[in-house]
Amino acid sequence: MELTDQLALLKQVIFSLAPLTDPQWERMAAIWQPFAARRKEILTTEGTVEKYVYFVTSGVQRVYYYDEYGREATIVFTYAPSFGGVIDAMLLQEPSAYFYETLTTSSFLRASASALLLLMDEDKDIAGIIHKGVVRALSGIMERMAELQSYSSEEKFRKLLSRSPHILQLVPHKYLANYLGIDPTNFSKLINKIRI
Amino acid sequence: MLKTELLSQLQLQNDQHLKDAIGIFQNLKEEELLRPSASGGWSIAQCLEHLNSYGDFYLPLLKKVVTVEASRNTPYYTSGWLGDYFTKAMDPRTGTKKMKAFKNHTPSGSLDAHKVVAVFIQQLEDLHRYLDMALQADLGKRLPISISKLVRLKAGDVFRFLIAHNERHVQQARRNLIR
Repeated sequence: MELTDQLALLKQVIFSLAPLTDPQWERMAAIWQPFAARRKEILTTEGTVEKYVYFVTSGVQRVYYYDEYGREATIVFTYAPSFGGVIDAMLLQEPSAYFYETLTTSSFLRASASALLLLMDEDKDIAGIIHKGVVRALSGIMERMAELQSYSSEEKFRKLLSRSPHILQLVPHKYLANYLGIDPTNFSKLINKIRI
Repeated sequence: MLKTELLSQLQLQNDQHLKDAIGIFQNLKEEELLRPSASGGWSIAQCLEHLNSYGDFYLPLLKKVVTVEASRNTPYYTSGWLGDYFTKAMDPRTGTKKMKAFKNHTPSGSLDAHKVVAVFIQQLEDLHRYLDMALQADLGKRLPISISKLVRLKAGDVFRFLIAHNERHVQQARRNLIR
């Protein structure tokens, strides 16, 4: 995708949160650069500060927890057109508790956290947009928490398919099973049972 | 050949195998994975299990090679004659002859089909990582082969052979889809 198309996509997503004036948008657009990564590249490592905010224009990525006991939890998948990276670490400028990695070849627009934080300091409208975006993300996480704690494996699987129909063709099942908190064997049973 | 060129070619092929495994094979139902081919040959699961048995043998050896930084590292890679011969015999574009699987690589008929696909994907992901690391490694290091202790191939040729072999049986597995 051309840079102008990527920026048009970004503009669309940002303006869906709240419109900006032309000069405001120009300042916002100026902080983003194109960035590409191949399959299975770790973009953010646990324990390091998140230096960037990402806007995904193609591919699938995940934010995940991984500890010294080999325990793993896939927190969220990101794909176009949405924001990516470890958002809490980026906005707080604290070491990340999570990893951010690509699962397929991916392209992004990427802005440095410091540039974004500066813009938010200088422009209340831009800060408001970021605030709204973060609250939307929070809603999504609360909704998923409720599902994780109350849905059956089959309901979680069906919900995933309705929310992201193409994800089965793009992401190895082990990550999807991990995301849903179900055993890979049970995931295979669902593949056998449910018409995709 | 330039090492970067060889590795990026291999990476491209491996990426296509990952796309097939993730996009197609993992989403088939168990009965589709286990159904023998139209001519009574291997099922999709058997093709992949056969490949897994090669991965089980070669991936730990390749891992060792790529995790050691080379003392001797040149920008060029030259295949050995035997490694080149094996690769061309396996590659479905250059080796059309039908072969019989060696006994220690013959897949069983009763398989946990989705488990087989999951292992195959894991192996391709490992291979992807090792290819990335291989640029710093000594690809001239000789490794034993799975069917004879007497023959040793350069690590670069083991990569080539393994991926040509994957190509052969991924194609075979895909033919089982067209019925």
